[in-house]
Amino acid sequence: MTRSLLYALGGLLLGLLIHLVVILTLPALAQDGVAARVDTVLPDANRTVLFGDLHTDDANPFRLDPDLTYALCKLNLKQGPGEVVATLPTSFWSVAVYGRDGTVIYSTTNRDGIGQSLDMGIFDPGQTRLLAEQKIDINAGLLIVEAPSDEVFVLVRLAPPQAAVRARYQADLARLNCHNIKI
Amino acid sequence: MRFLLNLVLLLVVALGTGFGLSWYALSDGRLFGAYQSGPWSTWLRSGAPDPDPYTRAYLARTGALQLGLSEGIQLIANSDSDGKPLSRDCRYRIDGSTPTATFWTLVPVAADGSPIGQSGVSSSQIARANDGSIQIYVSRGLAPYNWIEIAGEGSFTLVLTLYDTTLFSGISSNRTTMPSIIREACA
Repeated sequence: MTRSLLYALGGLLLGLLIHLVVILTLPALAQDGVAARVDTVLPDANRTVLFGDLHTDDANPFRLDPDLTYALCKLNLKQGPGEVVATLPTSFWSVAVYGRDGTVIYSTTNRDGIGQSLDMGIFDPGQTRLLAEQKIDINAGLLIVEAPSDEVFVLVRLAPPQAAVRARYQADLARLNCHNIKI
Repeated sequence: MRFLLNLVLLLVVALGTGFGLSWYALSDGRLFGAYQSGPWSTWLRSGAPDPDPYTRAYLARTGALQLGLSEGIQLIANSDSDGKPLSRDCRYRIDGSTPTATFWTLVPVAADGSPIGQSGVSSSQIARANDGSIQIYVSRGLAPYNWIEIAGEGSFTLVLTLYDTTLFSGISSNRTTMPSIIREACA
């Protein structure tokens, strides 16, 4: 009996070890994470996909709030620093930059004093160094974001105050310009 | 023979504890990383640039594009205030007040995150009581005041998204002002 209890205790300790291994390795082993889902809807960089009306869509792979409209784009910083430019309505909007593992590298909203114009530059650590050395020309007022990795996703969320303006807001999002800066 | 039985016992306990605990921890952050207020729960670090290992595993498991910390926070409820799972056969009343936010939305979704109704409600679209509190009904059949229509069968989840909120920012004192979810009647 005592021996069985010792084996059970050993199993418990081994179980805790398995638990820690699962938690720590899951991000690297996950087959259906954010990156895989973005690659499905956006196979190429510098493209934008719109999620206009998630209430009528069958699937919501990114679990986005269906009351808002969205533009998602992918940037590969190996081709140069990324720039995201848009002119958006005065109602609430926000922008978030994601790494491939789904962590939010940076986020802000138009309540932070940006107003209607979004002009954001995304730089990897090497490009940030060049920027500090003034070896990259950028527009004045560019919002500078440093990304730890070269592949990033940018999601713009836009909240239509009522359903009647949803189509117009989607058209505004469709003009989102997601590209690499030539250096 | 006894050694083999003990070895099987060890493996069963190890695998059950290891994978069971992982599933339990990542279901809604019941072990580490989550904040719970009544039926509502959220992963506090899901929108942070440096999430803890449990939140990082949760992000990998859900594959969702989370709200950044400065954008807002999303709270989910899988059960009512009495702890019973939300069922589409029942009518629920959401009663109380929400934390301070520029605006919020409340949407019923299926287990895979897809909406189960034509629309949710947002803070700008609802009628409120004189004291600013809300009363929202979620049901398949028509309901008074503010009504969210749901469709289909089975369980569902309520998602409350607070945009531009002071909740958890350290300058808010209203952590616990979450609305209750009260089950009224079931078909």
